[in-house]
Amino acid sequence: MDFDFSEDQAAILSGLEQLISSLNIEAPKDAVFSAYSHALDAELTEGGFLDITQQEGFGLLDGALIVEQLARLPVSVEAATSVLIAPSFLEDTTRRPVAILQGALTKAARFLPMAKTLLADIGDDLLRIEIPEGAVEEVETLFAYPYGRLKNPEALPSVSLGAGRLVEFRRRWRIAIAVESAGLMQSALDQVLEHVKTRQQFGRPIGSFQAIQHRLVMAAELGQAVRWLGFKAAWSDDEGDAAIAATFAQDAIPRFCTDLHQFCGAMGLTLEFPLHHWTYRLRALLGELGGSSAQAIAAADAVWGASKNV
Amino acid sequence: MSESLDDFRARARSWLQENVPEHGSPMEGPESREYALAWQKRQFEGGWAGLTWPQAYGGKELSVLQQIAWFEEYARAKAPSTHNALFVGMNHAGPTLIACGTDEQKAFHLPKIMQGEVIWCQGFSEPNAGSDLASLRTKGLVEGDELVVNGQKIWSSYADIGDYQELLIRTDPASSRHHGLSWVICAMDTPGITVRPIKTMAGPAKYAEVFYDNVRIPLSNIVGGLNNGWKTAMATLSFERGTASLALQISLSQRVEELIAANDDAGVSDTLMDLRADAAALRAMSYQFAIKSETGPVGSEGSMIRLYFAELAKRVASASIDIFGIGAPQVLAEHGLGFDYFDSYSETIAGGTAEIQRNIIAERVLGLPRGSR
Repeated sequence: MDFDFSEDQAAILSGLEQLISSLNIEAPKDAVFSAYSHALDAELTEGGFLDITQQEGFGLLDGALIVEQLARLPVSVEAATSVLIAPSFLEDTTRRPVAILQGALTKAARFLPMAKTLLADIGDDLLRIEIPEGAVEEVETLFAYPYGRLKNPEALPSVSLGAGRLVEFRRRWRIAIAVESAGLMQSALDQVLEHVKTRQQFGRPIGSFQAIQHRLVMAAELGQAVRWLGFKAAWSDDEGDAAIAATFAQDAIPRFCTDLHQFCGAMGLTLEFPLHHWTYRLRALLGELGGSSAQAIAAADAVWGASKNV
Repeated sequence: MSESLDDFRARARSWLQENVPEHGSPMEGPESREYALAWQKRQFEGGWAGLTWPQAYGGKELSVLQQIAWFEEYARAKAPSTHNALFVGMNHAGPTLIACGTDEQKAFHLPKIMQGEVIWCQGFSEPNAGSDLASLRTKGLVEGDELVVNGQKIWSSYADIGDYQELLIRTDPASSRHHGLSWVICAMDTPGITVRPIKTMAGPAKYAEVFYDNVRIPLSNIVGGLNNGWKTAMATLSFERGTASLALQISLSQRVEELIAANDDAGVSDTLMDLRADAAALRAMSYQFAIKSETGPVGSEGSMIRLYFAELAKRVASASIDIFGIGAPQVLAEHGLGFDYFDSYSETIAGGTAEIQRNIIAERVLGLPRGSR
């Protein structure tokens, strides 16, 4: 097994780093719940980062590396769906950003306010819906992503992609959950490590207390596990790998976020401290596709077949 | 003939049915103050305020069992959360005055709290004195019959709408740690006080920073004696970590039952039953503790129950989102379940972090050796 980046992968990540650096992206200064970077979106599109999986010689794993890096930023951008899910289901991949939802079309979905396409898992079919101007009402949430819902879903024409496509759609969505979570977890952890090194109580940095060190080590372990499970699932594009990666990620997020906020004390609960830029999004991903129990059932189905889990 | 518990409960249920406000409380600002005061006033006028407080100061001096029955009916009736602007006054400032205050202090302040005339806030934490409360630096120097206070407090909930503050300051400049402190009643309209609200990640400005610039407070406002403030503060914290959350604990159990009633998805039945078991355990522990507290000091066991409650509250808030789904209206609504979830993070911070509570439990309840701080 080779865990080092290939020359091509290293070049992609270096290019992405330069692009991000040129935009000078920082955590929003004002106390805001969410920030979508349209400038980053435009640059990623222009630079060809979002259609990487359709380029000769590149695949899902290369796309996952990009998604994981972008999730580390304190602002959101619709990348995971465009890179890891949409290419298999869109005729025209320039019709992005792409929103995804599961369940009733009246539910709110991430990125719907700026989406040009919606992919909807309605249980017995996968629908592709082109979103015209003015069809979406924004929904203010505490989950950092821009959320919106369709004003009148019945009025929008949809293309049935068929129930047979749901397996692939959900598999890719699970990979996206794990990979994006990994990037979010890394940046959240970085914020907290910096805080506990400098915050003093009882005459010493709080990061010198074993009770805190041990739990931060556990948080780092969870983040690394999510990262490598996500990359493995992207590399194999396997049903079981994807379900296990998403199960692990969604199972880990509550413990991870609880400890990270805890160690920043009351300051960590404010909009003035930047941790929420990542933990808001983690809480959103925690609840997608039915949460960890649903992913665990999908993992069991991949091993034993659905009939065992009726 | 004294009223039976069943009759008391029936009377409480009937009154709540008639009087619970139709709309919930605004989340912050002057509107939340007016709402809380009006609701408290209505309870007082109905004979339902200060149920366990002394009759000498307008309380009812009822039993803890009756208090529990009231809170159970209160939760069942979906009455406004007790985690409101009255929380400090009703649950730890008032009880501290009852335990440590002078007759004059009790006679002046307790009726105002019960009758819904004033809001109290807490001024304990400082930017560099959070978990390490004894390192606080805000000073009060004695000048004649006054204290002159300079310094800064933080994480003071309701300071922006408060009338009085339970203020812990260093009054012996030569002292260190928990010596030489005083617990003082600070009127928030005293010249020299500046309040800066702080928005939490749940949205509202739930906390505030308070600055004191030559604030003059009468010596008669000291509670428990000059330079004896640590003892008074420990009384405050024992209430805050003990019985203060009783109503919230009962309300949390009720919330679990409402989640169960609202859901018929077998896929989450194990989660719901786990929560019901935890809520039942919490109530058993908290009732035992509350009844024991009626006959005298109960030590630090309250920290176990406070901690259990705090962690369960976070789990219930998270499970509520999962049960309805992340894109559901109940979750995304203003001050909906998403708000509850991010707001619940404060449960394991406020009144002493979970880590401090665990230190207390380890040392004072389990008798383990004190570790290095």
